[in-house]
Amino acid sequence: MKANCFAVTWMPFSSSKPVKIAMLVIRVALGAIFVYAAYTKLAEPWQLFAAGIASYEVLPMWAAEALARSLPWFELLIGVLLIVGRWLRVSTLAMSGLLLVFFGLMVRAHIKGMTIDCGCFGPGETISWKTLLRDGSMLAGSLVVTVAAFVSRSKRTEPA
Amino acid sequence: MKISAVALAVVLPCLAVTGASGQGKVLGNPAAPLLIEMYSDFQCPHCKHLHETFLPGFIKDYVDTGKAYFVCREFPLASFGPRSREAAAYATAAARIGKFQQVAHALFQNQASWAQTGKIWETVAGVLTPAEQAKVQALFKDPAIAAEVQHDVDAGLKIPVRSTPTLVVTHQLQQRPWDYWEDEGKLFRGYLDALLK
Repeated sequence: MKANCFAVTWMPFSSSKPVKIAMLVIRVALGAIFVYAAYTKLAEPWQLFAAGIASYEVLPMWAAEALARSLPWFELLIGVLLIVGRWLRVSTLAMSGLLLVFFGLMVRAHIKGMTIDCGCFGPGETISWKTLLRDGSMLAGSLVVTVAAFVSRSKRTEPA
Repeated sequence: MKISAVALAVVLPCLAVTGASGQGKVLGNPAAPLLIEMYSDFQCPHCKHLHETFLPGFIKDYVDTGKAYFVCREFPLASFGPRSREAAAYATAAARIGKFQQVAHALFQNQASWAQTGKIWETVAGVLTPAEQAKVQALFKDPAIAAEVQHDVDAGLKIPVRSTPTLVVTHQLQQRPWDYWEDEGKLFRGYLDALLK
């Protein structure tokens, strides 16, 4: 009964054509944004991004350096997977997780009054209401796409 | 004499090189692959720390070797009050007679003193001859000096410079501000080395 209810509730989410198109557009747009974010970081020496991470004052320097070297490649992988539509549950979940962490750190920095780089798309972009609104919107879109990925999968695996 | 001159060149961050600009705030070869502009405030304790600890080695390794062209920019922060701007104006006036490095060094060295007492001119005058003092006093009153300081501030805000000290690195027409100094500039040096590869 409970499973039935769930399926009925989410039916329009995954079966309606306009909704499917909207999900596709959001997913590809977010994927493209991730690829662009990765490109802006990989186009610069990693030290610049490491300084940006360290300025959040959350991680020790060794961790900031390790993250600066690896995160852009991870963003690139997620972005490509989102665009091509492979491993959607994993890629959307990873995207939502990342965006949740990014957004949380940005909100924390903003509340603390830290005038630091967002670090989202290369250097020179200070955390502000504008960046919070943008990343918050991305997070909202990401969560919707993630839920859609899981719902459509569970629908496909439901017995007739 | 030669040794002390070399020591001075290493210790002082902004040597008065009468280069192309003639402002006495530049150091190194203008054709160097990196242009590095330092935005600082004479009342800022982090700027004093950078001036005393990081800059001497940085100038020796990057400017003296022809890798970077170094320019000092004024960025008096409003949060420190009017004394920052006054100190910046005196330093800029001193640059016009090629005495920027001596004045900048005196201002940083005696930062705590003049920031508290307001005796900026006394600090500046201490490293100038009477003739130079007269010139700097006259220049200080020139509106062009205040305009030059404001020009630096405006240029910094446009980048954007958010805090002091910030070193703005220009490489292959790309401009990047750097304001992370918690690691005493190790990461910054790594960044410059990566750009130079």
